[in-house]
Amino acid sequence: MKKVSLVISVLFVLGMLLTACAKPVATEAPVVATEAPVVATEAPVAATEAPAEGKTVLNVWSFTNEIQTMAIAFEKTHPDVDVVYTMIPMTNGEYQTKLMATLGTDQVPDVVALEAAFVKSYVESDFLADLSDLMQYADALKVYPFVYEVGTDPAGVVKAYSYQATPGALFYRRSLAKEYFGTDDPAAIQELLGDMDKYTEAAAVVKEKSAGNTYMVASNGDFMNLFYANRAQPWIVDGKLTVDPMVNKMVETVKIFRDNGYEAKATQWQEGWFAGMNDTLVDAEGNAKQIFSYFLPTWGLPYVLAPNAKSADGAHDTTGDWGVINGPMAYQWGGTWLGAMKETKNMDLAKEFVRFCTLDEENLTNWATGVYTNEYLKAIDPEVPEGQSQAAGDFVGSQVVVEKITAGFDNSDLSKFLGGQNSYGGFAAAAPSVNARLMQGSDDAIQRALNDPLNSYLEGTITLDEMWSLWKDAVRNEFPDLIIE
Amino acid sequence: MKRLKIKKEHYGYFFIAPFIIGFLIFGLYPVVHTLSLSFTNTTLMKMDADFIGLQNFKRLFADKTFLTAVTNTWELWLMNFIPQMAIAMLLAVWFTSTRLKIKGGGIWRMLFYLPNLMMPAAIAALFFSLFSFYGPVNQFLVRNDLQAEAIDYIRSPATMRGLVVFIQWWLWYGQTTIILMAAMTSISVSLYEAALMDGASGWQSFRFVTLPLIKPVMIYVLVTSLVGGMQMYDIPYLLTDGRGSPANSILTSNILMYMRFRSSQGHIGAASAVGVMVFIMTTIVAMLIFFLLREKKTKSEIKA
Repeated sequence: MKKVSLVISVLFVLGMLLTACAKPVATEAPVVATEAPVVATEAPVAATEAPAEGKTVLNVWSFTNEIQTMAIAFEKTHPDVDVVYTMIPMTNGEYQTKLMATLGTDQVPDVVALEAAFVKSYVESDFLADLSDLMQYADALKVYPFVYEVGTDPAGVVKAYSYQATPGALFYRRSLAKEYFGTDDPAAIQELLGDMDKYTEAAAVVKEKSAGNTYMVASNGDFMNLFYANRAQPWIVDGKLTVDPMVNKMVETVKIFRDNGYEAKATQWQEGWFAGMNDTLVDAEGNAKQIFSYFLPTWGLPYVLAPNAKSADGAHDTTGDWGVINGPMAYQWGGTWLGAMKETKNMDLAKEFVRFCTLDEENLTNWATGVYTNEYLKAIDPEVPEGQSQAAGDFVGSQVVVEKITAGFDNSDLSKFLGGQNSYGGFAAAAPSVNARLMQGSDDAIQRALNDPLNSYLEGTITLDEMWSLWKDAVRNEFPDLIIE
Repeated sequence: MKRLKIKKEHYGYFFIAPFIIGFLIFGLYPVVHTLSLSFTNTTLMKMDADFIGLQNFKRLFADKTFLTAVTNTWELWLMNFIPQMAIAMLLAVWFTSTRLKIKGGGIWRMLFYLPNLMMPAAIAALFFSLFSFYGPVNQFLVRNDLQAEAIDYIRSPATMRGLVVFIQWWLWYGQTTIILMAAMTSISVSLYEAALMDGASGWQSFRFVTLPLIKPVMIYVLVTSLVGGMQMYDIPYLLTDGRGSPANSILTSNILMYMRFRSSQGHIGAASAVGVMVFIMTTIVAMLIFFLLREKKTKSEIKA
């Protein structure tokens, strides 16, 4: 799930160059930009290799080089196939725009990767092929229901599958937990933070015992997925924009956190948010501040938290000081799905590729356990670029595979990062309670539209009623056909 | 002789063909196509589309968002154009002045023009980082007691508008300076000498010699800047979240158009309606400027 947001790196590098400030910021970490305010463009680089002769060509489009690893593995088991892999970044929506523009033309690829933010609009459209006959493999591998629910259209036709499951979790600092709650035991902390009211009460304790120097959470953006995932009704009911009580509860909660100073006023995917991960957050006066917890999903551990745990000057390192629990509510965040385009000329091959990537026990095991090293891939295709590989730790969507490999992670680097807690086991416990039935194609845009009015409301510049009406205006502008009252 | 003449006429068509073809394909066709799209509910995620009349345009005026975007576009353009023209004029006068005789004109020109070579994306990212809540501007101001506590500048409409105006000004004043300098250096030195002989002060020779003679160039700068300003997009889009936040303060018409285009359904019909409105607005203003320009001409002819 590497949604490489080079932008964020560029931004920080520039910031550092210009100011020569000692703010440590991770730049190598591939970070997910689904929730990040998009701040800069990079030139859309489309990298396509030339097709080999005498082989069946399968065109695959994606927004990261992640699936390329599986594409190379696929060529090993299917020597007569040449997978032509095209990578278009989605930093500023280049991928989505390019893909939308080719719909209905003969330029469409055979297989497409679809990110959580837009997978549903494709699943709801007429452009993806019916992949229901692959369900037998999903059943055999006991794929987590929410993973294929996302790929299922309202009529019950399954059109996309994912190799990963991305349940969310709560990561907390063990040393701070010991200081404020007398224990860092995950079970005890889960007990303390088991629901949102408890979490808010604990935030008050953290603030009081730290004399205001530790914030419960870094940004209000951390809460969004949590509440959205626990709504009882979707955003659009019978063509009408609907606000679930859980959304109101979210607004209430972030207001409490802002007004009481439980939240650090950082912005997700920005400097302050990352600084909290390696304990180098300082306020404008230079006082050190700490962040008690982060809401991050499976991929947040290897791609966001772990790479940012060490400060740039090496003076601060929070490795080993993290614990992971299910947290106040079950949720899921992000993920990459694969679908076959209806107009593909190689339907059987496209289906086989989707099956191999998402529903093949051996491939998923290799994927999650770090078998796909650069040397492994080079042995298949000597032209594989340097650095193309998949490290162990991505949480896969099949319960069969998860159960088989969990024990193998007891002594992994990521488990050491979590003070000995088996990271894989933690996610396995969280995954079954995730529900994605309410997900709709318009979710991402509707939720994004709330960010700006919500922040104005939190600052106190507008009232709650004004916030809702500004949000409705914004939604109306992106969805002209929606009934908004 | 006759045949040769016909041949010449024939060649003429070949010579203008590249422009005509280019204009028809890349100029006229997109405009006509956009216009026709604006009357439909076309999206990129559906195969079929219906003709819905003026519905898209009605929706534009159903709430304040579109009007906010248009007002913002005008305000942001005016706030950057007026100081841009004033400062470019001042610099151009200084560097072309035969009295001051500033050395190293070429180097100065290059320095003025340099910001224009930078990528808007990089500049927007740079300013975003500088002004963020945990960023260096807040650190500097608070640590030097210029400000009591950190301010969330990215969430401050006034600061963000100010930044957009400043960046636009900073990117383009060099370009305007160079154009004005070119216009001023083309004025014959003998005119200034004559003015000097008549006892004109520096201000008077600027007001009565320079200004009237560079007027056509100023109008050129005005029109090109206006057309560019009405399409203001990259800096405000990249500076915050691409939605014109905070509080729609830097939402321009083109950002609104793009928001509709990139929504999960790709509402190109609704986006085209915004494009058509921007087109109409720009055309009316450009025609107005040309009309005013023609007025002046006839006046001077009458005088003569």
